[in-house]
Parts: sequence; C-alpha cells; structure tokens
Amino acid sequence: MSESLDALELRIAELRARVRRAVREGDGGAARTLRGELRRAEKAWDATVTAEESASAAPAPEPPLLPIREQVHRALALLGVPASARLIVAVNDAFFSRALRGSQLTSLRRDEERSFRASPYARPYYLCAALTDRLSPARGLLADSTWASERRVLGPLSPRVDFLVSAVRIAEHLARLAEPPPGALRLLTRMAQNIPGAAEGLAPADPVTAIRAAWAELEVHRAADAEQRAEVAARAGRQLSDVEGLFGAATMSTLRGAC
Amino acid sequence: MNRLDALRGPVSARPHDARAIAALAANPGCARRALLDAAGVDKDRTARHLGVPAPFGRSQFAITRGNAFEALVKENGCAGLLRLLRELFGLAVEEVGYQDVESVGAHLRHSHTRALIDRAAREGEGTAVFYDHPLLSLEIAGHTSYLEPDVVAFQLGGRFHIVEIKSFAVIDGQAAPDKVAAAARQAAVYVLALRTLLTDLGHDPRLASHEAVLVCPENFTNRPVATSLDVRRQLAVLRRQLARMTEVDRLLAEVPDGLTFDLAPDGDGVPTRPARELAEALSRVPARYAPDCLSTCDMCMFCRSEARECGSTDLLGRQVRDRLGGVSGMAEALGMAEGVLTPAEGQEEIALLLRTAERLRQECLR
Amino acid sequence: MSVLAALARLRAAREGVAQPIATVRHCHLASRPMVLVPLKLAGEAAAPLGAVVGTDPDHPRLLVVPQPRDRDLRFSFAAELAEVLLPYVEGFAGATETVERRGGEPYERCLDAPQILVPNRPAVTFLGLLGRSTRFRRADGPCPVHPSVPLLGRWLTYFADRSHRPGSSLLLAATEALSTHWATGQSALEDANLAALVGWIDPPEGMSGARAAEEAEDPLLWPPAGPATDPGFDNEVLAPAVRAYEEAPSGHAVERVAQALRTQLEPTWRLMWRAAGLLRALPEGGRVGERWEADRGSFTRFVERLAENGPPQARRDGAVGAAARLAGLERAQAGYEVQRAYDDPLIMAEYRLTGEAFAGTVTAADPGHAEGEGRSRKLRPLVTVKTADPVQPAPGTVLGSPDRRGHAAEVVEVAGDEITLKIVKGMGRGRTPAPGSVPEPGERVTYTSLTGDFPSSPALPDPELTPWTHGGPPEEYVPGDEEAREEWA
Repeated sequence: MSESLDALELRIAELRARVRRAVREGDGGAARTLRGELRRAEKAWDATVTAEESASAAPAPEPPLLPIREQVHRALALLGVPASARLIVAVNDAFFSRALRGSQLTSLRRDEERSFRASPYARPYYLCAALTDRLSPARGLLADSTWASERRVLGPLSPRVDFLVSAVRIAEHLARLAEPPPGALRLLTRMAQNIPGAAEGLAPADPVTAIRAAWAELEVHRAADAEQRAEVAARAGRQLSDVEGLFGAATMSTLRGAC
Repeated sequence: MNRLDALRGPVSARPHDARAIAALAANPGCARRALLDAAGVDKDRTARHLGVPAPFGRSQFAITRGNAFEALVKENGCAGLLRLLRELFGLAVEEVGYQDVESVGAHLRHSHTRALIDRAAREGEGTAVFYDHPLLSLEIAGHTSYLEPDVVAFQLGGRFHIVEIKSFAVIDGQAAPDKVAAAARQAAVYVLALRTLLTDLGHDPRLASHEAVLVCPENFTNRPVATSLDVRRQLAVLRRQLARMTEVDRLLAEVPDGLTFDLAPDGDGVPTRPARELAEALSRVPARYAPDCLSTCDMCMFCRSEARECGSTDLLGRQVRDRLGGVSGMAEALGMAEGVLTPAEGQEEIALLLRTAERLRQECLR
Repeated sequence: MSVLAALARLRAAREGVAQPIATVRHCHLASRPMVLVPLKLAGEAAAPLGAVVGTDPDHPRLLVVPQPRDRDLRFSFAAELAEVLLPYVEGFAGATETVERRGGEPYERCLDAPQILVPNRPAVTFLGLLGRSTRFRRADGPCPVHPSVPLLGRWLTYFADRSHRPGSSLLLAATEALSTHWATGQSALEDANLAALVGWIDPPEGMSGARAAEEAEDPLLWPPAGPATDPGFDNEVLAPAVRAYEEAPSGHAVERVAQALRTQLEPTWRLMWRAAGLLRALPEGGRVGERWEADRGSFTRFVERLAENGPPQARRDGAVGAAARLAGLERAQAGYEVQRAYDDPLIMAEYRLTGEAFAGTVTAADPGHAEGEGRSRKLRPLVTVKTADPVQPAPGTVLGSPDRRGHAAEVVEVAGDEITLKIVKGMGRGRTPAPGSVPEPGERVTYTSLTGDFPSSPALPDPELTPWTHGGPPEEYVPGDEEAREEWA
C-alpha cells in the first residue's frame, strides 16, 4: 500500500515539474493535459491515503438554507440602503448564517434582470441595481426594487450617506438583540472606526455612541444628498423604461455598443 | 510606414502601464530597450519566443492580498480612506463626495475622467472628493498608454492628489525602502499624466499635487495607514527619461534599413519567425546590460547571455566595472593584470594597478 | 568591493569556478550550529508558511502552517519553533566563566553561545519581523498565546538585531558568509541565490561552477532558498493544497501542504549544511575568537536581562539609544575591518594596493639602538625593510604589524624602495629587546598604518538627558495592551 503511495508521490512531483515547465514555455495545451494527469494522480494519492487512514468521520449535514436571493434580501432589508456584495455578506455573516459567499452574488443581478424581462413584476421583489447620476447601474451595488426611487439612485454624496445609514441600522439592530453576536459587534466596530467620534481606538464600539456619531455627520450631508437624489430620480422617471429604471440604462447601451 | 511600426511588425503597439513607464527610467542608457519600448514591442513575448523568458512571476497569494487590501480601503465609498485623509490633511467633514468613474462603462472611462476632472478644476468646491477607477493617459513616443491610478482625491487644499494603495506593511513607521521607492515612481507617472490632462484642459498643471498619498497596512494588521509621499524627484527623472525617448529618432538613424523585431504571428497569433533570425535582429541594436536588469526588464536573460558571449565586465556588476576603471572586456582586464596585453593609450594607470593587484594576489595565495 | 576582489571575479568567470578572496575564515563557526530555513507567504509582511530547523543534518524538523492566513495556526507555528529553538539557545546559558577586568567588577560570561545559520539576509529580516510580531504577545489576557511565543519573539529580535553588527556570528546568513570568502564569476546581486553561490564554489563533479549556477537559477531544479517562495510553486502547488486544507482540514490535507513545502525546503536544508562544511574547512582567523568572545558577552547580558524580567525590546529606539547604537555599529565595523586585515594577508593585500600597508624583507637591523641618555634612555631598535609595494608611508607615521602583537614602529626614512623603521613598542622592559621582538635580516614583514586604536564613542548624553530637539527623554518603554492584542491580519 505505502509503496504505491511512494510511487504516486514520485509521479506527482515529476508531473508538477513538467506542468510548470510547460507553463513557463507558454505551452498551454501541454500544460492542461499534464494538469489533468496531475489531478488524477493527486486524486489517487488522496484516495490511497484516506483508505489507509480509513477512520474518518462523515461531516454533519448542513441545515437547510434560505435561497441565496432571500438571504441577500434579508441583509438589504436590515441595511435599508443600496449595498455592495461585500457588505451584504458581512451583514449576513454577522447576524444570520455564515453560508453566503461573495462569489454567489456575482451573477445575481443579471439573473434578476432576466427574470424581470421574461415576466415583469411576477415576483414580489427584485434584487436590482442602484443608479448613478448618469442613470447607469452603479458598479457592485445591489438594491431592492420595492424601495422608492430616491433611495435607489445615487448622487456624489450618497455613498457616504448610505455608509452612515448602514452603520446606524446595524447599530440599532445590534442594540435590539439580547445577546449581540460578537461578529456583529466586530463589524460595527470596523465601520465606527471610520466615523468621527463613533469609536475609541481599537476598543469595541458602543452602539448608542456609534448611532449618535453617525447621525451627527449625517446631518451635515443629508439635505444636499436628498436634493441631488431627488433630481436624479426625477430624471430617471422621465427617461427610463421600467426595466431600465430597475437595472440601469447604460447596461443596454454599453453592452450593445449603442451610445 | 513609420520606422517604429516597421520595427514592431503588423501587431498593435503594446501599451505601457505605470509600472512599465516607471521602469523606463531604470536603465536610460540602453538603446535596445529604448527602441523596443518606443516601438511598443511586446518584450515578454519576444523573450519567450527566444526561449529565454524573464524570471518574473507573481504569486496568487500576493495578488489576492493586494486586491483584498484595496477593496478594504475602498469599501463603503472609500470610508476608510476618508478617515485617513481627514486625519492626514484635516479634510472638512462636508467633503465626502464620491464618483465611481467606472460606472459609465469601460469605453467611456477616459472621457468621463476628463469631464469630471475638468468640472472639478473649474468649480472647485462641492465636487467629489474621490474619483474611483479613473483612467488617465500618457503619450509615450507617439503611442497613447492608458493608466489606472487607484484613486484620485480632490479637495485636499484645492488640489488633486494621487492615492496609491499598496499591500506591503508599514511596521513601526518603517516600510521596505525599495517598495516605497517603486510606489513613488509609479505615483509620479500618474501625477505626470494628471498634469498633462490639466494642461490639455487649459488648467494650471500644478493643481495636481506632487504629494501623493501612500496607503499601506499598518504593522501586521489590515488597518490602513496613510503617508504623504513627495514625488518631485521621481517626476523630474521621469520627465527627463520621457524627453530622451522622443530622441528616439537619433537611435533610429543608426538602425540598419529593413531591420524588424516582427514575430510574424500566424492566424492564431503563434510566432513563426525563426528565433535565431530574431536574435540576430536584436543584436543589431546595442544593449547595456547590468545585473539590475534581472529584476526590471523582460529581455534580461537574452542580454545577459549576450554579455556572457562577449565576456563583458558588465556581467559582474557596476561596482566591479568601476573598480576595473571602466575596462569593458573581461579578457582585456585579465590580460592587463597578467601582463600579456599591452594597455591602450590612457589605460596605463589601470593596467599598472591591475598588475600590482595580480602580483599581490599570487603572493598571498602561494 | 576592492580591486583584488574584482580581479578574483574576473578570474572566477574565466576559470568557471569561484576564487578565494580570503585565506582564513573570518566568522566563528559553532561545532553544533542550528540551521533554520524559514518560508513566508507571498504578499504578507511576516506570515510564516513553514520552516526546516535543527542541529542534525540528517534530522531536520519540518514545521508547517497549512493555512498561513489563520492567526491561530501562525501562533502554533511560533510555539513549535520555540519548542526547537529555545532549548537549543537556553542550553548555552548554564555554563559560565568569571571574567576579570582592569578597573571594573568581574563579570560572568557564558562559555559558549548559540549560533543560528539562515540562508540569506531576507531570512534575517523575516526572523526580525517574526520576532516583532510575537514579542509583545501575552500568555494571559484577551488573546492568549503559549508562554513560549513572546519569549521566542524576544530571542528572534535579539538575534536579528545582533546580526547587523559587523563581525558578529550569532546569526549568520550563509550567502553573506560565503561571499566574504569567495568571489564568483557573476554579480553580487546573483550571489544572493544560495544554490548558485554554492554551485560556483563547489560545483558537482564534472560540471563547471558557471554551469552549476545556471542550473541553480531554475526554480524547478533548485527552489529558492526563501523566505520568498517561487511564484510558480505558489500558484500551481501550494495554492491548491491550501485550498484543499480549507475545504477539509484533515490530517492528510495537512500532509499534502507539508509534502509540498518539503520539496521546497529540503534542497536548501542540504545546501545550508554544505555551506557550513565549506566554511568549516577554512582555518579560523586569529581574531575570530576575540569577536566570538564579544558575542558570548552580549548573549550573556541578554540572558540576564530575560532573567531579570526586563520588558521586551521597544518598538523604536529613543534618540540617544539610536545614536549610541549607530556609533556602536560604526566602531564594530572599523574594528572588524582592521582585524580581518591583520588576520589575513589576502585582505591586507588590499591595503598594500592602496598604500596603507606594505610588505617586504628586512635588509638590516640594529636591535640595540637607543635614544636619549641615562634615565631617559629609550630602546629604539632600527630596522630597514625593502619592499616592492607601490606606495610608501610618510616619515613620522606610526605603523602596526600583523606579525607581532603589541608591536609598533615609526617611519624614519624612505629611500627608494627601502624604508627605515624605528620600533617604539612591544620589545619588553629590559635593556635589550625581548627575544623575537625585533625582526631579523632576511625576515619577511608586513607593516600597516591601519591600527586598532579607534576614536572612542562620542560622548552621548544619558537617555534621561536627551535634548528636546531629539524628542526629549524617552518614556520608559512599557508595552501596553494594544501591542499584546495587535491583530495579525
């Protein structure tokens, strides 16, 4: 048994060297073929080793999960403003489950748009885009289609305003919980460190202090931001079709090269 | 057809990124490199086709770490960066505007950057503080290269600042000097591109500050820390080097007629030019190899083996060559040391020194 | 780089094999050194990936971090390294000798000290950073670590600091130690590759050094000696293995990472012992023992500092501390250079070439020559030396000689290639010179203006008197919770 392990290890080492040589020589085809062989050898090695160890416990079955779009929706509902995949995952990790990964969100917006185009308004909500002041979809941000248009469009001040609002919402949610999860407190602390007066050094943030500090800065930007957002929203209402209103104008013109 | 296009062959010129442009200043005396870069030849591909690729490579761990740190600094509308700039420059609390230039779509990024910078320069207050994913351009020997600084920040004292986000750590206030120097050289490229844009738009180029902002992780954490980086010297070096590149005509005048570095790619882009012929063509333009090339130039392995064949003292490093009084051939220097070669005029002194050194060495090793 | 060393490089290039630039060994080599080859994760300041460590060439201990981004695993790496390193280091603390000194209290000094060998300077830097990231940790409080971790941090910091001192051998970088003794036919930059350097010095049978060095540049044949890994290895071997561990952190996932790292570390482990063997084969220089004594003294003081429960080394030196440190390094550098020249004719030849030394044969001697009368009569033997060396010293210059300890002579006259010297020191107290203290005709001698008298350290104020222009007196360093809790990203 162990003899075949030794042989496999030798073969693996040799294949690795050959793969890397092929890669360095720019021979992509050969590299792929060799990688295939390598993977098979590694699999055989894994199998042999496992067979030798034999006693390995089967992993516990995962509890049933909410569909991805519902997990995202739940996080967005907590935040109340357009958010990046990163923040959505962080909120989900902090308050709900740790099962959502950033990579699962990459095609979400496109899937939602396809579904909307096929049968508009068939679902109670869509995970849609936030729109820039040029009415194009803002990169990487997700929003909820049921939100008022002013909430889903962005002026130059909106990223800061929305960040402050998210911090407030997270702090409020945290304050409501009898036993705040440590991950959530870490998330709030990290955000509060970037808000003047919201956190002291590296110490865990206090939700009430964080809310007060975030509001103090929000007061500075809120009126100007609301005005800019109203203007963009009005323009979007006049110029965009339903689908563009949710998923952005430039998507089509950019992708189809007609601008 | 343009001479440079003829050198490159029927492929489009390879654009330079900031790193490549900064590297142009690394070995200014090398005619081979100057011509290859001016013509936009893909040096990496060329070296590979010759069978001597440069020993460069980036680990995916480093790439992942770099991307993750940049994302962290920029998340939530650059909230982390904003805090650093508030601390570093005393930025007013109202100044929080953020524009993601990339949201207009790739093909409009450059013109959108231009429009936003123009507006900011004209209107001053009330415009965005951050321009994320901007796209600038710089003309290098007749070709436009597009450049992507991490962030351009405005409104720090009414000026634009280039922000460079790097994932090497600043530990107890100190960072690896070579990495800081490389960051400063890159930032200088962006400052120059931004100044060129401002000049084009009819604004004062000095609106683009020579103080870049370097953002790095602090100690062993992910916490970003910002430092102001004066890039005046790097700007001056870069300007001088780019000015020399416009003297490429002088270099071209010495290039034999019909010379080309064309790889003659077939329909699938696979080079068909015999490697030996290509090597022959390259050797018609003199290089100035130095061991430093091993970390900066794609052609390094080719030039090193050429220097070996010629027995050049360049191989041993600049320090050795200086010690040998600039004698360029190894055999020549050894010949003088062993007294079998009569020194040329002006070499008597170094020859005497080498002979004495050789005598002392022999005496001690007897 | 001297002209002689440049010449040696030329010859090495022509012969295809490294050439000696020293005739004796200028560093101490312990009878039982500890070899340590660390690897770090690309893109991180001080994230350990793995290491081989040990004192027995046949039994390296392999340490592995299966997921280098996991801070707990990093601390267990530090604890494991401590398990190997601390017993070795502490093993030297027990046996001491009492050293008497003129005008001072006698003190204790360890009879021997540990010696750690690493491949190159970046490995030293890495150990320094690993020390920095662990020495403030605490075994209690918010983020507890194993008690050995902060202790390891303090030792690593000590070794890395000490290795900046010219002539110290407590922590040696193999590439540097080898480059002090051999010149290769490539550039100093390329000498930083341990495999290439050893290839030049000791090529395999039937292969030229140049060819061996070329082969050593292929990371597939000779993985880099660390701490940076080959990017190709990272992307194609390590990353999938780490990912597999992440998905299922089982024993065999760890073994897969370990196996991958072993392929990268084992060749370097063998190279390190070859490098140690090459150095050991050289006869030790006369003043190496003296410098090792200083190392032993320094080591003893650090052991005492730990025993007294002193605080860990500060994050930054205060102004006076920094200036004193710099002055100390400069003195050590000057002393090291003189000692090497006195120990090694090939190094002295560099000074002969620049006129700071000469060698020749004694043509005449007047050992009984004296100056003054009666009580003020002083023995001043005269010696005439004939030399072929290029530059000759001015009359009145005081010279030392590597041939005789405590010997000093003054230049009286230079006539053509003959130099007359007056011996002023080292003849004993008698009316006639002690036997052997005056060179005899026909003897081969070397004299140099290079002497061991160095300007003493500039008078620096005590730390508590630091002028305000230099930040005022430093606050006594007391590491706070912040350092103890400092995150490891």
